[in-house]
Amino acid sequence: LTEEEEEDEEEEEEEDEGGGAESALEKSPFQLTAEDVYDISSVVGRDLLQLSAGPRASAAAARLQFSIVRVLEMLEALVSGGSLAEERLRLERDRLRMEVEALRGEGAPGSLNLGPDKMVIDLTDPNRPRFTLQELREVLQERNQLKAQLLVVQEELQCYKRYIYHSVYKLSAQQQFSRNSEAPTSLSQLTTFTVQPLE
Amino acid sequence: MAKKTYDLLFKLLLIGDSGVGKTCVLFRFSDDAFNTTFISTIGIDFKIKTVELQGKKIKLQIWDTAGQERFHTITTSYYRGAMGIMLVYDITNAKSFENISKWLRNIDEHANEDVERMLLGNKCDMEDKRVVPKAKGEQIAREHGIRFFETSAKANINIEKAFLTLAEDILRKTPVKEPNSENVDISSGGGVTGWKSKCC
Repeated sequence: LTEEEEEDEEEEEEEDEGGGAESALEKSPFQLTAEDVYDISSVVGRDLLQLSAGPRASAAAARLQFSIVRVLEMLEALVSGGSLAEERLRLERDRLRMEVEALRGEGAPGSLNLGPDKMVIDLTDPNRPRFTLQELREVLQERNQLKAQLLVVQEELQCYKRYIYHSVYKLSAQQQFSRNSEAPTSLSQLTTFTVQPLE
Repeated sequence: MAKKTYDLLFKLLLIGDSGVGKTCVLFRFSDDAFNTTFISTIGIDFKIKTVELQGKKIKLQIWDTAGQERFHTITTSYYRGAMGIMLVYDITNAKSFENISKWLRNIDEHANEDVERMLLGNKCDMEDKRVVPKAKGEQIAREHGIRFFETSAKANINIEKAFLTLAEDILRKTPVKEPNSENVDISSGGGVTGWKSKCC
């Protein structure tokens, strides 16, 4: 290979690289890859070299100006896009932090978010409510039924007491009449407990 | 089975705010006694007292209700069976008097339409602590067309009178039934000899 041929090859390569760099500069800043940045760097470096000396200095200066302006634009876009993204992320972080705190708070005792009609019962409190109104209603009904039955039984008992009183009264009258000194012991024992004066 | 020892059974009900003296009014009537210790009635209780009116033995089954709000669903279910209702307030407690309209509404909602009502202003022995003038009690009773007494369970003022008047008012409305051989003793004119044929 001659020197010239080598140069031509280099030219072609440079042309290719230049095309790659140009396309990288045309890309949206948000779609840039590391490869694109290297391409831009190489094209800028080549133009800088040509700027110091050579027949293509003025063309290189023009390209360089364009490249620098374009790179600055990209930088600007990335920076402002980045700060927007940063702001979004900051808000998202704050929101998540609050959510986590709320979830943690729900698990903790004493911090339940209850409605106005709700009540917390301490299961270790010996005086805690245990019975429903329906249960109380049933207990009261049963109590009152038993009370009513007791009153009936008491009334009956009163009748029997009077009956015994009358029987004993009659019996003792008969006994007095017949002058029989032997009293019916079992009955008199009973009456000492049960006989009450008539009202 | 014991035969009935009475001719008629009247069911009465005592209502009113907590602490106005419903239980004491009833205790004075049934047992002629008074107790100063305040024990709040739990839900509902009752006492029985037999009285004689116009030659008839009338058994009064008197239901004593808890005045506390938390028992209201239990106590209101007893309104329906009542033939007479005594609404009690405390003359030394303005709130208990203000609540009378609320209790009257309860009667309208839960009791029989023809229930006999009566208003009692209790604790009338405590004149120095009175906050409800007698005239105000009379006025509200007049407005609702019901009888009114100021009572004192402690000093035994108007207690028996109130119960007997309510029973008489109910008796007046009670249709005369055919004499029942099981519970009416025709052979005797009442008195001591009557018990034997009635209950034994």
